[in-house]
Amino acid sequence: MAKEMIAMLLAGGQGSRLYALTQKLAKPAVPFGGKYRIIDFPLSNCVNSGIDTVGILTQYQPMVLNEYIGNGQPWDLDRLYGGVHVLPPYQKASGSDWYKGTANAIYQNISFIERYNPQYVIILSGDQICKQDYSDFLRFHKEKGAEFSVAVMEVPWEEASRFGLMVADENDKITEFQEKPKNPKSNLASMGIYIFNWDILKKYLIEDEADPESENDFGNNIIPNLLRDGRNMYAYHFSGYWKDVGTISSLWEANMEVLDPENSGINLFDDSWKIYSRNSGMTGHKVSADAVVENSMITDGCRINGTVKHSILFAGVKVEAGAEVEDAVVMGGTVIKKGAVVKHCIIAENVVVGENAVVGAMPTETEKGVATVGSGIYIGDNAKIGPNAMVNNNVKDGDEQW
Amino acid sequence: MVNSNTSALGILFPNSYDSLVPELVSERLMASIPFAGRYRMVDFLLSSMVNCGIDNISIVVRNNYHSLMDHLGSGREWDLTRKNGGLTIFPPYSEKTVKMYNGRVEAVASILDFLKDQKEKYVILADTNIALNIDFNAMIAEHIASGADVSIAYKEEEIPAGILAIPVEKNDLYYTLSISEDGRVNRIYINPEESGPQNLSMNIYVIEREMLMEQIKGAYARGYIYFERDILAPRLDKLHVHAYKFEGYTARISDMKSYFDENMKLLDDANLDGLFSPSPIYTKIRDDNPTRYISGSSAKNVMVADGCVIEGEIENCVLFRGVKVAKGAKVKNCVLMQDTVVEEGANIEYLITDKNVTISAGKELKGTDSFPVYVAKYRIV
Repeated sequence: MAKEMIAMLLAGGQGSRLYALTQKLAKPAVPFGGKYRIIDFPLSNCVNSGIDTVGILTQYQPMVLNEYIGNGQPWDLDRLYGGVHVLPPYQKASGSDWYKGTANAIYQNISFIERYNPQYVIILSGDQICKQDYSDFLRFHKEKGAEFSVAVMEVPWEEASRFGLMVADENDKITEFQEKPKNPKSNLASMGIYIFNWDILKKYLIEDEADPESENDFGNNIIPNLLRDGRNMYAYHFSGYWKDVGTISSLWEANMEVLDPENSGINLFDDSWKIYSRNSGMTGHKVSADAVVENSMITDGCRINGTVKHSILFAGVKVEAGAEVEDAVVMGGTVIKKGAVVKHCIIAENVVVGENAVVGAMPTETEKGVATVGSGIYIGDNAKIGPNAMVNNNVKDGDEQW
Repeated sequence: MVNSNTSALGILFPNSYDSLVPELVSERLMASIPFAGRYRMVDFLLSSMVNCGIDNISIVVRNNYHSLMDHLGSGREWDLTRKNGGLTIFPPYSEKTVKMYNGRVEAVASILDFLKDQKEKYVILADTNIALNIDFNAMIAEHIASGADVSIAYKEEEIPAGILAIPVEKNDLYYTLSISEDGRVNRIYINPEESGPQNLSMNIYVIEREMLMEQIKGAYARGYIYFERDILAPRLDKLHVHAYKFEGYTARISDMKSYFDENMKLLDDANLDGLFSPSPIYTKIRDDNPTRYISGSSAKNVMVADGCVIEGEIENCVLFRGVKVAKGAKVKNCVLMQDTVVEEGANIEYLITDKNVTISAGKELKGTDSFPVYVAKYRIV
């Protein structure tokens, strides 16, 4: 039995610009929005779009991600035929290779795709926050009779030169591709989400692999080659919320946007397009009689005795009496002790912020840094962490880090 | 077994004590009564069993069990989707005449064939009217050490008012125990009315499977109904019945007032930790988003599950999953079950709302501490 379309999710990225947050896990496994991880978004999109077969290509620090995905049950992707499969690089009779590039990662898994004999393959990226109906994208692809389609977003012209741009005619047919150009001819930025006819993708993957000069990358090699051969290539316009959370500041910003769904467009409270995740299984959260909670998102298992303003608290966070948390993203299991002040920052999982310690600061005219504390770090009593600090190691009582 | 040393299977009776809370069980049964923000009563016993390595659990249902089946599904959330054992739900068996069981003798008699084919040495029998976190391995170990035929778990507590008020014609009996110094039960009192702390049976039993089958066969043939009244109580001289004192936290549902109080007691961290540790309690996953507090809301002394949106004021409340409290609404001393909506400007106190209740804008509704008002499922006030 053939599948109409299967998904290949590129989740190998190290996410080096997330520094302390990706020391021990791959970027798609980074927690987001109170109870999710980034990868929950593409996975939930797949299931909600009717795609039941997903290959996840991993390479960098895959352990957390592997454990998180498990058999795929939380996303309803534990299927008899299909379902979710984690695909790390593996050893073959002729030796083994790391994934050399995005295209090479798919090339090395051609046999996985062939098992399902799909007509179409959608290539997804594991580092974006976006709710998107891929079945509508596929409908577009079929209507246009395309061999390749790419999802694009209109971006402001002044920012266009930061993106890979698609130049398209009035029928959305792509005529040119510009990778981060100085003089943009278009403001249609590629979202890195592609639909291919499988026969075309396979042909170009094999051709690309044979080219020793190639970087084996979709953007730099495969798409230019398709253009060179005059293939039927179309740009699918997407206008919903989309955010690449590849940097500390964009990750912080996207979390804060979750707090303001009315204006930001990222609504997690949408019963018709649920985002699934592996649940913590903790009891409801508690807010004590002396606590203050304002404009925040609080997840199961939290115990709040202090003040929490405009922040996102993941499962099981404890905020002790007299502690202040503002404009902060505090991930699961972290404890903020008595009198500590935590502002405008990202604190990863299972951190302890000691009594009266200070982490981060509200932004000023000149200083807008988002302090970041890696997972499992201990920040001593009375320690001070500056707004630009990136904390990878324990901080002793009373020490300062800027 | 390699991964645990438990050789016991569990049998749960989800309808026991339904008659104590007629409002709450009008469309469900004791086992599926929502409790503690995101759980159902059955979760506590199921989880305790699973955490002790018991992975063969049967539920012998009597009536109104749709909500329970919906909650349990295949048992996956409790890790009970197993090739061997796992979760088995026994609906009433209809032959020429459909017969619903009354007491445990009839209930167990209906699954004797099943019991015969199992391998576990011991059986744990339990009702679902008590939420607790119990170590069954400790109970089984004490049972073995005592050399008893049957062990009963009990707690030293006063007989709750709700239980005292059970009409005799209802089939929900209760028992207290007179215990000798070596822990042997020398007398079982049926529906006693003593005041002050008693050794109140929790109706949790450990017994060898072979012996259970033998006793039930004999009792069923004689037309007996109740395990305690008809098998244990008259034969304490012949059967060695051991009393197992449970000292952990318990929340016993014995009437609407106790339902309200037991929820509210969990606002005290010591009680919450007593019920939810050391082992986790599992429940059905709903994939709600985290709870959102919007500017202008206020929350004091509350326990709130995921999926809620709070714009108004809440104080001394237990909110289940997906509750909405709109702007200007005031909610004080309330237990609001799943997906309750409190609209703008409504003002409620001492209320228990069942699932999907709507309190319309501007409405005022107040119960009292001694008599919380209950609003039934899907009602719009």
